[in-house]
Amino acid sequence: MAYADAIQEQREQRRRQRFATKSMHMTQKYLHRMRDLGGTLEQMEPFFNALERIYVQGLDVERPRSTKTVGTYCVQVPQELIYAAGARPVKLCSGHYTAFSIGDDVVARDACPLVKAIAGFEHMGTLPLYENCSLMVVPITCDCKKRIAGLIKEKWPVHPLYVPANREDEDIEHYLDDLYQLMHMVSHVTGQDVTYESLANALNLTGYAQYELSRFLRIKRTTPNLLYGTHAMAVMNASSYLDAGVWASAMGALNDELERRARANELVSRKDLPRIMLTGSPIVFPNLKIPLLIEEAGGMVVADETCMGERGMSDPVVPVDASFDGLMRSLAIRSLRPCPCPTFADNSQRIYRLRQMVRDYHVEGVIYHVLRGCLVYDYEFRLVEEELESMGIPVIRLESDYTDQDVEQLRIRSEAFVETIKLKKGPLKANRG
Amino acid sequence: MNKKGLVTAIVCTLMVFAAYFAWQFVFFDYETNVYTTTAEQLFTIDHLTKLVPLLIIGLLTAIGIVACIVVRNHLMRRDTLRSPYATRRAPSSNGRVRGRRVSAFMVVRWICMVGFFALMVFGGVLLGVRYAWISIPVLSCPANMSQLTEASCYYLAHLEELASLPLMGIMVFVASTLGFVLVLGRVLCGFVCPMGLVQDVMHKIRQATKVEGIAMTERMYQALVPIRWVMLLLMIGLSFVGGNYCNFCPAIALTPVAAGLSVSLYASGFLMVFVLIASFFKRRFFCTICPLGYLMGLAHRVQPFRIKKDCTACTECGACYEACPMGIKQLYTEREQTDVTDISCIMCGECVRCCPEDCALSLTLFGKDIYVSKRSRVVEGYRR
Repeated sequence: MAYADAIQEQREQRRRQRFATKSMHMTQKYLHRMRDLGGTLEQMEPFFNALERIYVQGLDVERPRSTKTVGTYCVQVPQELIYAAGARPVKLCSGHYTAFSIGDDVVARDACPLVKAIAGFEHMGTLPLYENCSLMVVPITCDCKKRIAGLIKEKWPVHPLYVPANREDEDIEHYLDDLYQLMHMVSHVTGQDVTYESLANALNLTGYAQYELSRFLRIKRTTPNLLYGTHAMAVMNASSYLDAGVWASAMGALNDELERRARANELVSRKDLPRIMLTGSPIVFPNLKIPLLIEEAGGMVVADETCMGERGMSDPVVPVDASFDGLMRSLAIRSLRPCPCPTFADNSQRIYRLRQMVRDYHVEGVIYHVLRGCLVYDYEFRLVEEELESMGIPVIRLESDYTDQDVEQLRIRSEAFVETIKLKKGPLKANRG
Repeated sequence: MNKKGLVTAIVCTLMVFAAYFAWQFVFFDYETNVYTTTAEQLFTIDHLTKLVPLLIIGLLTAIGIVACIVVRNHLMRRDTLRSPYATRRAPSSNGRVRGRRVSAFMVVRWICMVGFFALMVFGGVLLGVRYAWISIPVLSCPANMSQLTEASCYYLAHLEELASLPLMGIMVFVASTLGFVLVLGRVLCGFVCPMGLVQDVMHKIRQATKVEGIAMTERMYQALVPIRWVMLLLMIGLSFVGGNYCNFCPAIALTPVAAGLSVSLYASGFLMVFVLIASFFKRRFFCTICPLGYLMGLAHRVQPFRIKKDCTACTECGACYEACPMGIKQLYTEREQTDVTDISCIMCGECVRCCPEDCALSLTLFGKDIYVSKRSRVVEGYRR
């Protein structure tokens, strides 16, 4: 009997080994593709290194040994609270294909791939990023997130964060209570008290990241084609695994380089490439196939409105009241009010945001990305399509899964989309000439 | 009737009662009231002794605020969720959120408020009362006969005295008041009104000590609407039923006393203490129920100062609503109109200051931008 157990154990061990190697290769492949795209800047390396560190080298986030990590999902968890309690937040929403293939057998068939990938990592237990978490904060946004809160609670302490469906004053009050509870929980885990000073310092820390991000967005807006959208998305994704201060200073260096290149007019591509905006379901590293396909096909992803991309951090916290409660309130408000997540009952503000982005970035076409099983984003496609059509912006819906099998089909569709925009632009140029 | 409605009804009844019998509630009594002062009397020992009522008001306010904080901390002990954080709610000095930068607009606003306060207290004595024929609709109490200009509120509160004026007087009063209302409107509240200044100072004190305030919700603002109506009714109507609104109005306990006059204070003294405590916890509390301000706000559709909004740039983050001392919700909910000037807007510019989206909100004069929201203003202070 013991022998059989040992065999079983060994098999399991080997399976884990295989999984780890496979997932390493998968990540490496996408890092390579990203670099092969060209136009990588010197100052992007810290971000790529951070991604490589987690998924290729299989190390945990860089941090002092005594600092605990708290896993968060979705953008509604205020990272400031976790920093204030002396822990390090990591965003665990995953885009990993290998983990997805494991998770596919673990959770329901129609669950979204993001959740399947999380379940895969949970099941295999090979990635230190997940394994070392002292607490998981799961906001109850969509159905899949709700389920994941139940699924992972056997392995980690889980704090489900109730996110209201509306954003009225009363909802803010409720959410504020929940944030107090969360703060309680996190400081219980870390053994560190949240004081006014630590909260203010945490706000200053994320504020620094906000500042550098706003600079980055401004540079991107004013000088087009300075960098590839895929790289910009990777840079945003890296913020999940870097300390906000470290990310911000790396961002500052990147901004300086971009500003220098903008002055010297060193662009990464021709100026007249079709300008495409990406929106819809989360696009999480290493699942960067959609932006990669667009840019490999000769389009430019000039903006993205996805929650692991620019949107996740683009709304700053605006502390209006200097009291402790005032700071907490500003966190609660920032987490709910400006968030264009379709899990809110009324999400018309997303349409306005898209309009604004189309205007700011001179977008010529929109790719609406839907992860298979991501119902909330699928629901909103119709609204977005109507609105964009009225603005004369072509839009297509690309459905994808966390697998390489649908790449060719996606390639054909995105190439065709890029070509149609090129065709549309063609006569315009002739007229100008 | 729900509980909130009942409370509002009781408060309104009490207010009517207190206003009618205002002279019964003696706060500080002088045997003879003196309504003017001379330049020689200013800044002398005699002037300082006249400030005693202000000191009493200040003392009572301080006691009231401390009492409120103590009671709140005591009540919070029962709240298991927040009780561990009760100590954080007490004044603390460590830590500061950097972030926002000082903007020229706010500096100008503060200079205006302080400057006009000085003019409304000492202006007439120092510069002469030659502008006294002008009636300016701010709550700078006209009991101070030696202030720079006349305030419209006296004749509005005593309409029968206005009617007994010569025709020329009535016309000058109406013309200057209307002129100010149409040209400036509630800009006067944000830039000129002395009551506004003391309330903003109370707010600044709270910000500096980091004491938690009262976060107003939409429903709480709605509960204040009937109180505002009662205030308006009292102001206009009290003189017709034999009362005197001036004995109730808190403004009389401010500029006349500061100017060194001997003016007896009745219910207004107590009300001033209440207003100061309230504005400590809720910014510009009195402005939300000010009857004069409401009358000025009626001109919000025609006044040249406006709050404009770019509805596409707005992300509905609600920072403006949170910052707005008047609780104007349409600032962030409005999705079609470009004009979001509200009847209660006092043009303090807080919404524009806090708005993190470029050009989403702007304060305009005749369509020209004076103060425009900027992302950099909100995040620049975090730079390292």
